[in-house]
Amino acid sequence: MSADTTKKAESKNRMLEYAVPVLGFSGAFLGLFIRMNALPVDIRITILGCLLSSCALAYLAWIRPRKDIVALTTPLYSIIFLGFPLDDVATIVLEFLYAASLTALLVRLRNRFGESGSLVMDKAELAEPISRYMERIPDVLKNVSQESGHAAALVVTRFARGDFHDAALTAEAEIAKLNDARAPRIVQEAFAIVREQAEHLDKSFPAPERFVTFSSDAHSMLVKEPVSPGDKNDLYNSTLENALVLLFACAWAASEQSRSDLLNQEGFVLQLLS
Amino acid sequence: MTNHEFIGTGAATCKRFWRNAKGKISIIAIAVFVFFTIALLMASVFSPEIRSQLIYLIPVLFMLLVIPVALNYMSRRQYAELEPVYAAEAKTVRVKLINTSMIGKPVRIEGVVERVYFQFLNRPQFLVADRSGEISVKMFTKPSEEVKENDVVEVIGKVIHRYIVSGDPVINCVAIRKLKKTEGR
Repeated sequence: MSADTTKKAESKNRMLEYAVPVLGFSGAFLGLFIRMNALPVDIRITILGCLLSSCALAYLAWIRPRKDIVALTTPLYSIIFLGFPLDDVATIVLEFLYAASLTALLVRLRNRFGESGSLVMDKAELAEPISRYMERIPDVLKNVSQESGHAAALVVTRFARGDFHDAALTAEAEIAKLNDARAPRIVQEAFAIVREQAEHLDKSFPAPERFVTFSSDAHSMLVKEPVSPGDKNDLYNSTLENALVLLFACAWAASEQSRSDLLNQEGFVLQLLS
Repeated sequence: MTNHEFIGTGAATCKRFWRNAKGKISIIAIAVFVFFTIALLMASVFSPEIRSQLIYLIPVLFMLLVIPVALNYMSRRQYAELEPVYAAEAKTVRVKLINTSMIGKPVRIEGVVERVYFQFLNRPQFLVADRSGEISVKMFTKPSEEVKENDVVEVIGKVIHRYIVSGDPVINCVAIRKLKKTEGR
């Protein structure tokens, strides 16, 4: 998505964040005003301020990737707390307390539940460890075709979801295509490694005695230093991690259409890098 | 089925039920039972009205013990039925490969129990680590064998969110069994 759209979404969300305390307290102050001037208006109409404020808060909670169940249910509570007939003074006091609670919940939402989902999805930047790695291997990434990038995205996504058999099949199909193409050898090796290890994982096999690894001239282009061949299990595992991170980088660089799917797997890749 | 056979089967079921229940009652259930027993004893000493209601109150008191035992028995039986299904479907993975995209997938991990929480509530939670990382393993019934810290275990379960719809991935454990005792830990 363009930077312009991101900016618009950002400003809309900021407006809504301001709207939460403004609407809540406006309703309460309006109720106070009606009461002090003895205006011939039903004071309960001012409850709408808190209701709208809680709806804005619920929307802000909804668009975040991590859902805050408390903020999401505030419209319901505004009806339960304020919807029942009370005397005027009690209504105004309750409105002030409720507006203050909604404001506190908004602060909590911002601090504990992070950025809104739309902003997260719109971001075009990867986390630093991944982008730094991508900067290290420009020659590899520029030679990856869009088709290979898309296949790499599918492999990573399916692998992350635990669909190991599907990941192995996709990798195998791509290996067959790459054999007669000009794709970098390291990428072909990465597909072969993921294919083999995904098959093993699908069948719950332990690390075999012999398995596919990166060739020695590819070592400088890997995200992690290869482990010494003496420790078979560690070498097996780090080989897979290097292969998955490399495929993720290739997919991000070559297949723009896959980026939204890849962003969902960014956390998995960071976990592999940890 | 003859009457003798019927009675024999019923007795066997009861025996199995109590054998399963033995040592599987949570300390909370026992505490509740003891609290209300003392309360009832004291109330019946001081109030003749309560004494006249004892015929109802004593069975209710025992229900406080029987219901948790029955629920535990039923959940354990259900877990025992689920175990082969999960064992057949689960893929053996390293902890590091478990992520939120795998929510709902049956998995099998092997690792060392680093911490055990809430054992006394019959809802134990284990922190299991392998060489790649550590993960919380939640169980909603008492495991079939006692699992302690430093035990090497195999866990079979499903990946879920820690807080149902959000939070980091944890394993909803269907079966946990000891493989061997670790040495030198």
